[in-house]
Amino acid sequence: MVVSASQRRLIDVVRVLYARTLTVRYRGSVLGIAWSAANPLGMAAVYTAIFGHTFVPYYDGSLLRYGIAVYIGLALAGFFIGGTSQALPSIVSNADLLNKIHVPFAAFPLSTLAAWGFQQVVATLPLIVVISLFINHSVLHVVALIVPLAGLAMLAVGVSMLVSGAQVFFRDIAYMYELATFLIWVTSPIFYPAGIVPAAVLRLLAFNPLFPILESVRALVLTDAWPSAQLYALSFIDGALALAIGVAAFRAMRPQFMDLL
Amino acid sequence: MIALRDVSLERRTREEYAHDLKGRLLALATGRYRHPRRRAVLSGVDLAIPRGQKIGIIGANGAGKSTLLKVMCGVLEPTSGTAAVEGRVAPLLELGAGFDGDLTLADNIVLYGVLLGVERRDIESRIGEILRFAELTDYERLPVRTLSSGMAARLGFAVATAVDADILLIDEALSVGDESFRAKSRARIEALWHEERTVVLVSHDLSLVRTVCERAIWMERGRIVADGDPNDIVARYVRAVDEAAIETLLRSRVDV
Repeated sequence: MVVSASQRRLIDVVRVLYARTLTVRYRGSVLGIAWSAANPLGMAAVYTAIFGHTFVPYYDGSLLRYGIAVYIGLALAGFFIGGTSQALPSIVSNADLLNKIHVPFAAFPLSTLAAWGFQQVVATLPLIVVISLFINHSVLHVVALIVPLAGLAMLAVGVSMLVSGAQVFFRDIAYMYELATFLIWVTSPIFYPAGIVPAAVLRLLAFNPLFPILESVRALVLTDAWPSAQLYALSFIDGALALAIGVAAFRAMRPQFMDLL
Repeated sequence: MIALRDVSLERRTREEYAHDLKGRLLALATGRYRHPRRRAVLSGVDLAIPRGQKIGIIGANGAGKSTLLKVMCGVLEPTSGTAAVEGRVAPLLELGAGFDGDLTLADNIVLYGVLLGVERRDIESRIGEILRFAELTDYERLPVRTLSSGMAARLGFAVATAVDADILLIDEALSVGDESFRAKSRARIEALWHEERTVVLVSHDLSLVRTVCERAIWMERGRIVADGDPNDIVARYVRAVDEAAIETLLRSRVDV
């Protein structure tokens, strides 16, 4: 792949900003990662204590399986919601810098998301891989996780670019995005089984791009079966689509940024 | 080489642009939305600066001098016209604009250097040299926020001038730090000056423009009103300012 000069510069800038965020925010980065690891575990335990008995029939009568399903949901949704919410103000909060030095705009949401993603991946992915190997003894299932996780990463990048760009125009987007993340949270089967949702509503939930990602990852980790081809394909396609839309919207908005910063 | 062709820049007046989606939607729905007015900051600027030329820009506050520099370093894009800049630009505009107070001096050198357009490996190999010039070697592992503002300015100057640039854009303050460092920074600027570098200097120090520049332009209300020999341009500018001052003076006496 040929990398142009402007792409190389973008990569360089993303790398130094990413390093800055990691050093400044997670100075005790071990502590930061420990917190990110403990947080979904603790939350999963709380959800299991409260909803476990009600939902256990959907998980072969096993509370532990419900707990793992919730943990996966929390880890993936946490990556997406936390990362995009942090990326949202990243361009506006660097307005001062952008008025003095020419820096590629995309470097701000990308480096913010990358720093958050690094922490989340280190904190949660190893455990998910171990659980998967423990349950179905299949390396192939672990390898197959790449597709929905790539979908999740692309989804997060696309949405980050979209919302960070939109915030330049409308500073109240932050509040609206908070509402949107709550909607995403409720309409994703994070702590409830998709099976309890009436069929008519479920068809609507399938438009939530997190839905196929969550369900694919869960199928791969919790069962030795394979997710349905449609679900599996959608987990990637939704992400790619979000990325394409996010990048296109960002390019369209970009010429007006400096006027409003 | 810098070539600005018919460059105009308009900006929305900040007061009129509402950064509020709910308000905007309501205004659109009720038909009360008006496009914010645009104010011309630069209009029809034509300017070709050949490689190696030292050029000074003079004019009153708000004439568009700094905006013109921002167009040259790529921070602002012209609304119409084209701005072509060949070569690496070192903007000595606000030194240390990219510093992060929580990072160490070494990390900040890399951060600021990369933001200024130097490749990461390149700047990493020059951390020692930059610290030595700024006389801050002992502080390498301390966060920048522990530095005094003068020391931070020295560091900013050291990084910005370590960039191996073809074009220097300078806005006012050339001298930073205390008396001894000021002499050193002046010496470095002079060293940069004598090489094959293009220099664009914005300054209110007219004698400086006259002595160090070989060409000057005078800007007023976003336009270039005169372009030529610095002695000539500065003299005309001073005369115009004097005349305007006398006129104001006379008018105020008539009013009395």
